[in-house]
Amino acid sequence: MVLELIINGETRHLDIDPRAPLLDVLRGEFRLTGAKAVCGEGFCGACMVLVDGEAVPSCLRPVGLLEGSEIVTIEGLAPVEQPNAVQRALLEYDVVQCGMCFPGMVMTLTSFIDKNPSPSREEVKHALTGNICRCTGYERIVDAVMSLTENDEAATS
Amino acid sequence: MNIAFDPASAVMNLPRRDALDKLTGRTRYTVDAIGPDMLHAVIVRSTVASGRIVKLDLSKAQALKGVRAIATYSDAPWLHGIGIADQPLFAHEMIRHHGEPIAAIAADTEAIARAAAAFVEIEVEQVAPLLTMAEALEPSALLVHPRWKDYEVLFAGAPRGGNVAWEAHVNRGDTDSAFARPDVTIVEDCFRVSRQSHVPFEPRCAIASYEDGRYHIQCSTQVPWTVRNITAKVLGIAPSRVRVTVPAVGGGFGLKFDCTIEPVAAILARKTGRTVGLRNSREEEFLTCLCRENAEVQIRSAVTAEGEIVGREATVLMDCGAYGGEQIFLTTMTAHTLGGNYRLGSVKLNSRAVYTNTPPNGAFRACNGVYNTFFLERHTDNICAAIGMDPVAFRKLNVLGDGSLGATGQVFNGDVLKPMLERMEAFRAAVPDKRPAAGKRLYGRAATVGTWFVFVGPSSATVNLNIDGSATLVTSGVEIGQGTMVQAMPQIVSAVLGIDPANVIVKTADTDASGRDVGVGGGRTTVSVGSAAQMAAERVREQILEIASEILQTPPSKLVLAEGRVEIVGLPGSGMSLTEVIQHAESIHGPISGTGNFTGPGTPSLPGCAAGHFIDAIDIPVFAVHDCEVAIDPDTGHVEILSYKVVQDVGRALNPRAVRSQIQGGVTQGIGYALHEQITLGSNGNIEQSGFEQYLLPLADDVVPVEIVLHEGAPSIGPFGTKGAGDSRS
Amino acid sequence: MQADAAFSTMIYPRTIAEALDELAEEHAIAVAGSTWVLRAPLRHEPLAPRFVALNKLDGLRRFDVTTDAISIGAMVTHDRLAQDLPEFMCLEALRSAAERAANPGVRRIATIGGNIAAHDFSASDFAAALISLDATVEIAQRSGLRKMLVGDFLAQRKALERPWLVTAIVVPVDPLRASAHERLPMRHAGDYPSAILSASANRQGQWRIGVSAVEHQPKRWRALERALQRQNLAKAEDVARELAGAFSGLNLPGTPGWYRVSVLPVLVRRAVATIEARLAVMT
Repeated sequence: MVLELIINGETRHLDIDPRAPLLDVLRGEFRLTGAKAVCGEGFCGACMVLVDGEAVPSCLRPVGLLEGSEIVTIEGLAPVEQPNAVQRALLEYDVVQCGMCFPGMVMTLTSFIDKNPSPSREEVKHALTGNICRCTGYERIVDAVMSLTENDEAATS
Repeated sequence: MNIAFDPASAVMNLPRRDALDKLTGRTRYTVDAIGPDMLHAVIVRSTVASGRIVKLDLSKAQALKGVRAIATYSDAPWLHGIGIADQPLFAHEMIRHHGEPIAAIAADTEAIARAAAAFVEIEVEQVAPLLTMAEALEPSALLVHPRWKDYEVLFAGAPRGGNVAWEAHVNRGDTDSAFARPDVTIVEDCFRVSRQSHVPFEPRCAIASYEDGRYHIQCSTQVPWTVRNITAKVLGIAPSRVRVTVPAVGGGFGLKFDCTIEPVAAILARKTGRTVGLRNSREEEFLTCLCRENAEVQIRSAVTAEGEIVGREATVLMDCGAYGGEQIFLTTMTAHTLGGNYRLGSVKLNSRAVYTNTPPNGAFRACNGVYNTFFLERHTDNICAAIGMDPVAFRKLNVLGDGSLGATGQVFNGDVLKPMLERMEAFRAAVPDKRPAAGKRLYGRAATVGTWFVFVGPSSATVNLNIDGSATLVTSGVEIGQGTMVQAMPQIVSAVLGIDPANVIVKTADTDASGRDVGVGGGRTTVSVGSAAQMAAERVREQILEIASEILQTPPSKLVLAEGRVEIVGLPGSGMSLTEVIQHAESIHGPISGTGNFTGPGTPSLPGCAAGHFIDAIDIPVFAVHDCEVAIDPDTGHVEILSYKVVQDVGRALNPRAVRSQIQGGVTQGIGYALHEQITLGSNGNIEQSGFEQYLLPLADDVVPVEIVLHEGAPSIGPFGTKGAGDSRS
Repeated sequence: MQADAAFSTMIYPRTIAEALDELAEEHAIAVAGSTWVLRAPLRHEPLAPRFVALNKLDGLRRFDVTTDAISIGAMVTHDRLAQDLPEFMCLEALRSAAERAANPGVRRIATIGGNIAAHDFSASDFAAALISLDATVEIAQRSGLRKMLVGDFLAQRKALERPWLVTAIVVPVDPLRASAHERLPMRHAGDYPSAILSASANRQGQWRIGVSAVEHQPKRWRALERALQRQNLAKAEDVARELAGAFSGLNLPGTPGWYRVSVLPVLVRRAVATIEARLAVMT
């Protein structure tokens, strides 16, 4: 079936089985390998993308349900070499280790901070229920996010 | 030439240079490079635990359109292993564990390869599997390895036989007399732990090709040289016919400290004449994980009323799974962990690695140090309860100090553990405890002491000085997330050469480019690769100073390298830029480079104390003191961590921020091991947890910020006095 | 994957009648949020040959609130339900189920209809909550629209005459009722819980209790409902413990059945305490 998908602002046409998970299509057809295939069941968050502004696991979205939706991947979240505020905070706090979970983390956190500019630490941690990290132990990720909140006087711009 | 410079100049919280690409999804791990322009391979694995292969018919699979080649045992007929070469790449005649590779199929797409796998006809005459160590140790038990006597071993002399793959013994002093003393209390304990699975987010994967008569394997590994050597071993070829390259790796934690799927891709690449990508599915990663082994201990100690440990005896059983693997080596580590921490009047330890018909186990961040520490510390608290002594006081009284004898008779240097315990006491006293937060729940607190080590071993490095004043560091080190390759390594080289760490290029691992390296793991990279890098950089430094000395007419001892310049000591601005020196050097001698190497110096143990050990004494011990408060809901058994404190023996922290990150991550894995992660085996000898639904990794809500004190100054042969922190665990 | 031109692997019916026609085909399945169907490979099941997408059907996303009842279209997601649910005390169990199940990403896509229609899903938060609220499910069949109590639907769904489609869930609003939802994940949050218990009650001691995750199928705990009507609520946990033996705990790798059954009475105690507190503040 030929499907029309809008990915990172660009309309693409693809002759593909509509049941294929978006994750596989992004990585296989478009070679947008930022979203990672880790658990295949929506638990780990490494495959998060934005669909119509909402952060969702791309491993559980068949492309056939996404025609007409605006899909944003980690590659399209911010212009090249112009990381967004969440990415900059994570850089500043030097949080990244192996890196595999971070595209998904960034997607979730970018969307979360957008809708919740002043969360508590608890709320940030709760927002990360669907984003697992095996390396960092999370706390410094939360530190970085808290530095962005309106609560923190030293928040970066 | 012994040229001094200030090691403190290497210390900085250098940010990671690979973070931006990782945060923007640009980093290309091996798993990302597997794509449509190559063939795809799938491994056909046994669905039973034990039996004889009576039929293996590949014809239907081979006939499927798009199937390009199938590999089996006949393509790789040699055995491999760490201490014992007992493992074939593909099962031959006998199946020994669920998930064991039987064949591998390369096809145009993964879907075709998987479809073809379903057409492979396998008949196995099943034999009742030995699923537990107890079953395997029964006198009448069948042998997992009937031909064990014929296997090549790394060194002879360790007891082995039947289903006991290897035994390591420690015997120092007379424990019989100690236990017979009338003035001792004897405390006996028995503990058991199950497996833990690493779950690195990037699965094991490889892309292989056959180029100019050599195999080239790009893979997600911690040990490029092991992949090279084992690929060669199973193929029966010279290791120099194999090249291994490694880009950024998405997590390892020890799972990738061995070679498993990589040679399979290589074989198929040669058979098809094409590039072949192979990737374990998440389910395969779980079902064939080289887990931290399940183990059991019986331990007893004879302790006087004053708290002196006059005798300690223990037997540890470690489950290898179907093949010896890492567990053979790990029998050595019982002595240094279960037999560690404390001064012992006499000690007798017996560690047995036992074969079972289950998936082979392997190395996982601090290996058996983690459960041995649990066994030992739990036992220690029981001792304290038995003799009525405070747990912290007992530990302060008994921990190893300067001149203390270890279990194998090695002599420890420096007082490290006692000062660390005192620091922990102060740390604890400085904040109120969290008992109120437990509310109506049960409250518990414990402080524990642990000994691990830095796994030293051969490493090699080259530093090439570039004409623009930058330097390229070439090693076989791999960045698996621990930060060493992007932080400690450039920091070390930059400190020695007086250049900005941003101007130190770190070449990713390529076994064609750098010398041998035992690999990344065991907290060794900073020490071993770092030492080699430091030596290489120092040789470059010598050459720079020699040339500059001539030009500046000043002896090298009066010159210093800093900020990309060679300066005369005490006369800033008087010298010349590094680039000028290099240009001069290149016109006369040619480009400047230096090489370095490192291996463990070998610390002596007492003769006769240790048998069957790969390491008789540890060159660089790493100590830790942990303190944890918990609340336990008596209704549900749920545990909440209320606080966690660590005093970590780091020698010198080159990048304190990065070390803290490692500790936070390591403690989190320990929390998972203790509270959430469980591996069970089914009646088919299969690991029952096949995905994230059943295997529960700690989430953000499950952890607390670990409060950390970095204890510096303990003696270490590492570069600038560093130790390793990658194996930090709770 | 290239699709065979003559056989579409995904169909987008525009009317319920069309959808039912498509679902009558043997290999077709209804796809709502798709979080269950796309995990088929992990269950070692083949992907269903034809997905009947529900996303173009009118009316499945409705959310109608009256003083008597809330009508929730089958395609309403957990997230939307949590946001749009009015703050009636009696509906707290439903809100809790919508807010706490799974994780934030899955809650944005998984639907209430898809959740309760998934046959082999033992740990449905919605199932327990809807049972405890006497909710009915509207099912479209060729013979017309049919309504069943959620508990009955869950017990009978495998035997329902095909084709059928969940179109809406109707939750009565009872201002004299309070409800609570307890779930016990093995970690601080996340899935899957070892036991889920939802309950509602009024001051007359009329209880409704739904249990999920403890057995293969979610179900109503009638025996406890009757017992609580007669008993002093301070003894609720003891009463529940006596009756919990009727559950045969589900053994799964990671959480054994005995544990699920043993924590159930604890969840009863907690739910009862919450409901009592809520009833106390109701005028």
